[in-house]
Amino acid sequence: MKYYGGCDVGSTYTKCVILDENGKMVANSTIRSKIIANESAKEALETAVSQVPELNKVEDLDYLIGTGYGRNKVPQAAENMSEISCHAMGVHVTNPNVKAIIDIGGQDVKGIAVDTDGTVKTFAMNDKCAAGTGRFFESMARAFEISLDEFSNLSLTAKNVIPITAQCTVFAESEVITLVGEGKPRDEIAAGIQQAVAKRCFVMAKKAGATDSITLTGGCAKNEGLKKAIEKVLHIKVLDLDIDPQLMGALGAAEYARNKGLSREG
Amino acid sequence: MKDLKHMIYFEQLLEDANNELVRKAKGDGRLALGYTCFHVPEVLLNLGNCFSVRLRAPNMGSFDIATYYMANSACEYSRALLERAIEGNYNFLDALCGVDVCEPMNRSMENMELLKLHENHDKFFRCYLDIPYSDDEDCVQHLKEQVSRKILKPLNEVYGVDVSDGAIREAVKVFNKVCETVRAIGDFRKLDNPPITGSEFHKICLVSFVCPKDMILPYLEETLEEIKTREPDADKKYKARVGIVGSEIDDPSFIELVEESGALVVFDRFCYGSIPGRNQIILTDDEDALTQICRQNLKETECPRSCAYHKLDYRREHINELYHDYKADGVIYEQMKFCTYWSFERTLASHIMQEEYDMNVLSIDRPYIARSSGQLRTRVQAFVESIEFKKIKAKNMAKEK
Repeated sequence: MKYYGGCDVGSTYTKCVILDENGKMVANSTIRSKIIANESAKEALETAVSQVPELNKVEDLDYLIGTGYGRNKVPQAAENMSEISCHAMGVHVTNPNVKAIIDIGGQDVKGIAVDTDGTVKTFAMNDKCAAGTGRFFESMARAFEISLDEFSNLSLTAKNVIPITAQCTVFAESEVITLVGEGKPRDEIAAGIQQAVAKRCFVMAKKAGATDSITLTGGCAKNEGLKKAIEKVLHIKVLDLDIDPQLMGALGAAEYARNKGLSREG
Repeated sequence: MKDLKHMIYFEQLLEDANNELVRKAKGDGRLALGYTCFHVPEVLLNLGNCFSVRLRAPNMGSFDIATYYMANSACEYSRALLERAIEGNYNFLDALCGVDVCEPMNRSMENMELLKLHENHDKFFRCYLDIPYSDDEDCVQHLKEQVSRKILKPLNEVYGVDVSDGAIREAVKVFNKVCETVRAIGDFRKLDNPPITGSEFHKICLVSFVCPKDMILPYLEETLEEIKTREPDADKKYKARVGIVGSEIDDPSFIELVEESGALVVFDRFCYGSIPGRNQIILTDDEDALTQICRQNLKETECPRSCAYHKLDYRREHINELYHDYKADGVIYEQMKFCTYWSFERTLASHIMQEEYDMNVLSIDRPYIARSSGQLRTRVQAFVESIEFKKIKAKNMAKEK
């Protein structure tokens, strides 16, 4: 059996997926990214490889593709691809019916329209600032002095929404600290934050051609409060994926690696 | 590919506005005339012992001081020029020829004036040309009047430069040789596997804007001869051929970023590019040279400031023509962040060129120095990959048929 790898070196997390030649996911890993991108890639790859008994080392992978912001730092990668192409393909192999994606990564937000074969039809990218990204949520959780997971669910119990007016991460954090200090209900402040981010997703969703449904990828896709806010604000159904949405970039890269590896042999 | 003999020298020339050839010319007693925009007819700054220097801001750091005098929303190019002017980078100039084309450039030069950055040079003069929005004969006459009064007259009166019709025609001859050479080099990009990259060509083009024409010409001519026999790499490393269309780019590292992302840049329709910046000037004997130069300048400008309908159509049709001539797979419409005119053009074109001309289009805005932008790299790479997949699909469909 031959194996194919995809390694997504993101700004916050590094993910790795290994597929067998039939396209079945046989291993995956997710680690917190280090400052040195190739060290992150090395660790994520070694962790994933250790889950496959037939593989002894990273070099045993038949074809490896790097993606994410550190895509050109993946050791042993045959090539690198943009995370936009890889997220589209990752979602496509997970659910071929999905046509529009919002990828909320650690530092940017992307809207991607997926073609029938998993390639990118169009895309839009908001990379002007960290507002509405994973970094933004980390910053907000810090303001509440709770974990990111706790923050993700906090807004679900809110009966009202306290709007957050600042768009900048730094100013929004300051606004949240003020509201918390004033004794406003935390779940309602959190709901305001989720709503603000959901609104920022609107443009991306439209540019991705979303009409009645959309899928979230990236680490923020696990944020239940955000999912609910997007459904409420955008009047659009957020489709869940059967595979961890944070792995979509790595999965797409692995699928491309599988196709390229097989076509090279064929 | 084998390295071009003069490429390292060209790169060195681009590291400083007051580069080696400029210093040499100044040492010979020649006059350096700065300008920033295509709308100042470049050839007229090359009369007699004058030479033109199109201003760039190499070694740019932060814009903090310029931002104080201008605004956060002024384009980064205009702020970069002011910042470097304050730092003394353009002290070598003998005159500065500006244009009232866009407000930020106007403010940039106005601040240079208010800050008295050239007050130690008693003969230094500056001007602001009022540029018409279209290209009819009234506009031509207006531009001619502006150029005559604000550039040629002071050149003659202050520095004693011969501004006669004969002198202009002599300058055109040298200018045309430079244009012919640069365009001949650029034409190699039409080949299936060009012996020159887009970033190499951009550097060649840039040196022709920032150095005395007669002094850079021998290097350009030698480079052309070298490219004629240069063997391109047998293994094509680029996944797509793209043209770049848009506002000011004087940073070769932006073209390098695009090419590192897998796209060979085959045509350059942007400010500081060769199209139309390196078009030859065709003169006849039945009319004075100045009028003909002004007319050609207004006819050939591709700045979206020219908003007459026929100019809009001309720009789109021209891109379509270039797209096919250079066998491009896609076009990148770019604008310097906060460039008002190009923000309209880019937004419209990103739809029209895709929907009506069936082109692959990427639309981006960019900072003045784009080299370190990972996000920009991701956008370009994703664009290149989408072109690549479309080509593969088309190939597979053709096979199935």
